[in-house]
Amino acid sequence: MKASRNWSWPFSIIILLAIPLLFRDNNYYLHIFVLVAINIILTASLRAIASVGQISMGAMAFAGIGAYTSAILMKKMAFPFFVAFPLAGVASMIAAAVIAYPFVRVTGIYFTMLTLFLGEVIRLIITEWTSMTGGSSGMLKIPSIGSFSLSGINVDFIHLVPYCYLVFILMALSLLFLYRIDRTQIGTTLEAIEKDEKVAESVGINVIRFKVLIFCIGSFFMGLAGSLYAHHLRVLNPNSFGLFPSIYIMIYMVVGGRKRFSGSIIGALVLTLIPELSRTLKEYQPYVFAAVLFLVLFLLRQGLVDLVERIETRIAKGRERRIEHA
Amino acid sequence: MLGGLVQAIFSGLASGWIYVLIALGLALVFSIMRILMFAHGEIYMLGAYVVYYICVKGGISFLWGILISALALGILGIFIEKVLFRPIRGQMEPAILAAIGLTLVFQTTAVIAFGSYNKFIPAIVPGVLNIGGVRLAWDRMLIVFLGLVLTLGLFLVIRKTKIGQAMLAISQDPNAAALQGINVNDISSFTMGIGCALAAIAGALMGSLLNLTPQMGTLAITKGIAVIVLGGIGSVTGAVLGGLILGLVDGIVPLYADSTTAAIAGFCVIILILLIRPKGLLGHD
Repeated sequence: MKASRNWSWPFSIIILLAIPLLFRDNNYYLHIFVLVAINIILTASLRAIASVGQISMGAMAFAGIGAYTSAILMKKMAFPFFVAFPLAGVASMIAAAVIAYPFVRVTGIYFTMLTLFLGEVIRLIITEWTSMTGGSSGMLKIPSIGSFSLSGINVDFIHLVPYCYLVFILMALSLLFLYRIDRTQIGTTLEAIEKDEKVAESVGINVIRFKVLIFCIGSFFMGLAGSLYAHHLRVLNPNSFGLFPSIYIMIYMVVGGRKRFSGSIIGALVLTLIPELSRTLKEYQPYVFAAVLFLVLFLLRQGLVDLVERIETRIAKGRERRIEHA
Repeated sequence: MLGGLVQAIFSGLASGWIYVLIALGLALVFSIMRILMFAHGEIYMLGAYVVYYICVKGGISFLWGILISALALGILGIFIEKVLFRPIRGQMEPAILAAIGLTLVFQTTAVIAFGSYNKFIPAIVPGVLNIGGVRLAWDRMLIVFLGLVLTLGLFLVIRKTKIGQAMLAISQDPNAAALQGINVNDISSFTMGIGCALAAIAGALMGSLLNLTPQMGTLAITKGIAVIVLGGIGSVTGAVLGGLILGLVDGIVPLYADSTTAAIAGFCVIILILLIRPKGLLGHD
């Protein structure tokens, strides 16, 4: 925490700025980095919801609400992207707000099961609502983000490099917001609720209200991620928002480590890149993914961030020793 | 029309007993180890393939095939409990990680080893029984009979044997049970073994009704979870009741509504049950 803050912020900003330029000739890699960014938003939102101790298995379903809202707004009603994008988040948040009050009263594994079945219901509704969503055969020809012009500046997001920057900026803004929540009093309150709900209630915290709040905020960002997903792939299929895609987001979170905010970023990054990098293995590819899961399970129970933490303590110890010697 | 309804009830009962067999394993493992075994669907899939290779390719009779499959996957279950699930007993997130890892390994292996083309196990007992125009298939009757026998057998084991009593004790309080000299590790292995054996039998029976695919476990685990939620997570009687209800709903509703609407309605009912009575129909604290 203390040592990492110094270098990790400028470091990540430089990486984010460099990636689109470094890979500007390789559309395939840029495409993957956009997917990584989307997954990072999803994982960080899921971690926010999980920060009260409630693990959701419906992450992709809320992303699906956002994705279809944004796609329908742009395709059928010709909304510009910069209007459709926030509305996607709002739609997902409204859906979350409608069900939140009864849902957050249910705790532990029962909450996880609830979100699992809710996710399936949302997926089936998307499948069934053929006139709007195209049903199980999918929604095709979704418009891309398009161009953006403001007082003379004209950026065309057909080109992948500016497009990549746009996605990164939107990701950075989302992460900044979620990080602020984590670090302010709300974050502390949520942590107190996770540790012991009864104690939190006894010191005057309105547990239900905070749970609803964070559930809605998390769903908002899931909706935003869904919108990016829709206009990136430009094809939507209800099965992309089913149970297993949602479980995958949860796995990104657990593998990265829930203890720290950076865990979600690391988890989503590593686990999105691994299948892409091991594409040459073809049908053996899922073994690599499974191997990472077992590795984390046996060696790094706190997730991949634990590795970062261990390296940091080692560096800190080395520094102390050097100071002692001097 | 009435004949159609009777037939639907009957085939619903048959698939219901298969759901019961899947859910019993999930419920047992949950009540002893406090984890949700997400890879249960893959055990079910493997069970079906083992029977396919023994019976269709090997030419050995179906009942022997089921027995061998149950034994083989029971042993596999004991093995994965010892290696994978024992250290993470009672922890939800690592358990889901482990189970998804297993799911990936089993599913990928199945695609590589068995191919993704559909295979099928021929009807165990061919032919139908015709009672005044109502046609009841013999193989479905056998499934109901086998399911009934296995469930009763499991109940007898739980009520009458020492191991069963130990299982009950652990499900109530693992620490207190350990203090009474019950070996929690051994009972956990045994439970996982039984659960996987039941899943393998369920897979083999379903394989004789539907096609075998490496992805067949996904639907099975969704149904299994729905059943244990309906009956109360961890309740064995609840798993039986939940499985039969779900089977009947699956059998009857398609007569009157299209299947997606039926599925949405079914999940909504389960969500309502979780909201009003999170512990399920027969669950208790």
